[in-house]
Amino acid sequence: MQKLFLKICLIMLISQGALCAKDYNASLFGIKSDGITLNTQSIQRAIDFISEKGGGKLKFYVGRYLTGSVQLKSNVSIELNEGAVLVGTTSIYDYMGINGTKALIMADGQQNIGVMGKGVIEGQGAGVIEQINKQIKKGYLEESMAQASPGLIAMKNCIGVNIEGFNLQNASGNFVTFSGCKQISIKGISIKNPATKEGKGLVFAQIDGLKLENLFIETAGAEIHSDGQSKNITIVNCKNASGKSLLMKN
Amino acid sequence: MIYKNKITLFFFLLLGFQLSAKDYVATEFGVKNDGLTLNTCSIQKAIDFIHEHGGGRLVFESGNYVTGSIYLKSNVTLQLDYGATILGSTNPFDYVKDKKIGWMSMIFAVNQENIGITGKGIINGRGFTTANNMVNYIHRGVFIDPLKYDRPNETNRPQNIYFRECTNIIITDITLKDPASWNQTYDQCKNLYVDHITVDSKSYWNNDGIDVVDCDGVVIKNSYFDAADDVLCFKSHSAQHICQNVVVDNCVGRSSANGLKFGTVSRGGFKNFKVTNLTIFDTFRSAITFAAVDGGEIENIVIDGVRSINTGNVIYLRIGDRWSSGKKPYMKNITISNVYAEVPLGKPDAGYNFEGPIEDLPRNISPASIVGLVENKIQNVTLKNIQIVYPGSGNPMYAKRGLTPAELDGVPEMREAYPEFSQFKELPAWGFYVRHAEGITFENVTFTALKKDYRPSVVLDDVKNATFSGLVVNEPESIGKQQVFPYKTSNLIIK
Repeated sequence: MQKLFLKICLIMLISQGALCAKDYNASLFGIKSDGITLNTQSIQRAIDFISEKGGGKLKFYVGRYLTGSVQLKSNVSIELNEGAVLVGTTSIYDYMGINGTKALIMADGQQNIGVMGKGVIEGQGAGVIEQINKQIKKGYLEESMAQASPGLIAMKNCIGVNIEGFNLQNASGNFVTFSGCKQISIKGISIKNPATKEGKGLVFAQIDGLKLENLFIETAGAEIHSDGQSKNITIVNCKNASGKSLLMKN
Repeated sequence: MIYKNKITLFFFLLLGFQLSAKDYVATEFGVKNDGLTLNTCSIQKAIDFIHEHGGGRLVFESGNYVTGSIYLKSNVTLQLDYGATILGSTNPFDYVKDKKIGWMSMIFAVNQENIGITGKGIINGRGFTTANNMVNYIHRGVFIDPLKYDRPNETNRPQNIYFRECTNIIITDITLKDPASWNQTYDQCKNLYVDHITVDSKSYWNNDGIDVVDCDGVVIKNSYFDAADDVLCFKSHSAQHICQNVVVDNCVGRSSANGLKFGTVSRGGFKNFKVTNLTIFDTFRSAITFAAVDGGEIENIVIDGVRSINTGNVIYLRIGDRWSSGKKPYMKNITISNVYAEVPLGKPDAGYNFEGPIEDLPRNISPASIVGLVENKIQNVTLKNIQIVYPGSGNPMYAKRGLTPAELDGVPEMREAYPEFSQFKELPAWGFYVRHAEGITFENVTFTALKKDYRPSVVLDDVKNATFSGLVVNEPESIGKQQVFPYKTSNLIIK
């Protein structure tokens, strides 16, 4: 009970921190909503800048924002407002990975970070997989399909992560992967249209403090997958496409 | 000549390298030629793959390829076919400021060997847009830069090419356009071969033609340069290094600064240069400028065959004391021969994009000059078969520097100033001004003024051992005028 109280305090502190942090519009950094301009370096510059300035929100409004992998930094949140679509490029060499897990939004060893809003993260999975196949056939890509397929969110060794409200679709890899993280909250997310039969929804390894609430997950692979070494897990009202309540699968 | 043998050997090495190379087509790696897709990561993947698989050429077939910063690796040549254009991203955040180099560039190479960029394609930095986008980010406070002179520092604007500490470089046939900063820099490289390139570089401040910094073994030939800043620019950034063993042949240059330039950064120095068949036209400053203002050593320089048409100045040799930090600079054993030059009354680069700044007024047309320091004289300069046509018409009511000791001593020394031919404002001669020099030979030299000038053609101030043979001076209404005026000069021989 005491532990829970502490956790509530921490979450309050984090959300309060987010309240007094500054908001930055994407356009300030020249990030383009045309769906053509590859914004990777501009988004990265924005994240680095906000983090260096003490933290805040990077806000995206209506439009399609094409990008490759970006790394989230401490005290920075990405807010995808209604109508904002963060689009993963089909150009496969624009994706980076953490310990072999590639993803569009990555974080490694960061604190107090998040992705929120009512927008969309679009993986363009079919296009990505087609490109990976071509490059493997030509012999230029020396990775397996599983290694090369990027997920949408992958975080490692992070503390205090808030994922809330938006829609994830068409991932070529697993949609969301967390490993070695503490205090993760995932709320009100919908995960749909996986590009592969193997693609999992949420993948967890060695998590301490995980709250899943009001999730809808439609995947061919496991909706929620855990290594069995995670603890302090709460799951409330999480469903798959047939309305079945979801539990952790090891 | 030792360096000639070295260069021949280098050609054979390059030939062997080229024959064994395998071709890879860029689009096969998912690189798009649509002029929209940013290909940075795909091009980098292709370079890395070729580098790791025995080397070869990455071929860009006809099309437009957008990219940010990429790093060229050993044994990889970028082949730009006719019709292929590499377009620099106009987003400054797509460029890396290399930590070792401290500059931004589109194509980097650091510590690599056997690399090249070849073919009849184009590299277009689109620098004006990129630079102005950078200005925007600075104003918004998302990029920090002092914005001195209302422009981002030159290290915060991407060049097209920056190679550092590389060996065996071939740059042939390409066209290099519109960088946001300098254009192509080769820094502490060995064996650089540049042939048949075209440079069109006048989109923003500091757009040079080619910058060769502290390199050893350089050939630049059959190339055409049109640049806002210096054209053939040799620099020495490091006091421990030297720019040496350089051949420049059959090049044409146009500049809103200088044509052939040594410096301005001149810490180590410049040795063993042979420059032949050089044409400089419509150029704002000097066709030839050597600056030893940072402690550098300049020696054994041969320049043979220069046409300098419509240039603001022809020859400017200068020793100064800007960043010498105790090092003693020198300039000696310089031969300049077979020069025909015309200096205009008007602005030679009028109408070109990014014109040079009108400055150092009031002054009448400045003469060619050799200016050392009292304690560091410029030594052993031979000028042979030189013809320079000046407009004359120097008007003392506009600007006057007479020949009295007070007036001649009154020419400022400007030891620490940035060296340009016009820096002293009005000089006392219309043809050639020599100060603080030793062993100056004028052989078969003709100075022509198209109109009468109030000044004599030549003034020598603090010169030891000056010899004139076959000096011809043509100036209207000048019968009986003393055309060579020595001051504090010893052992002057006029034959």
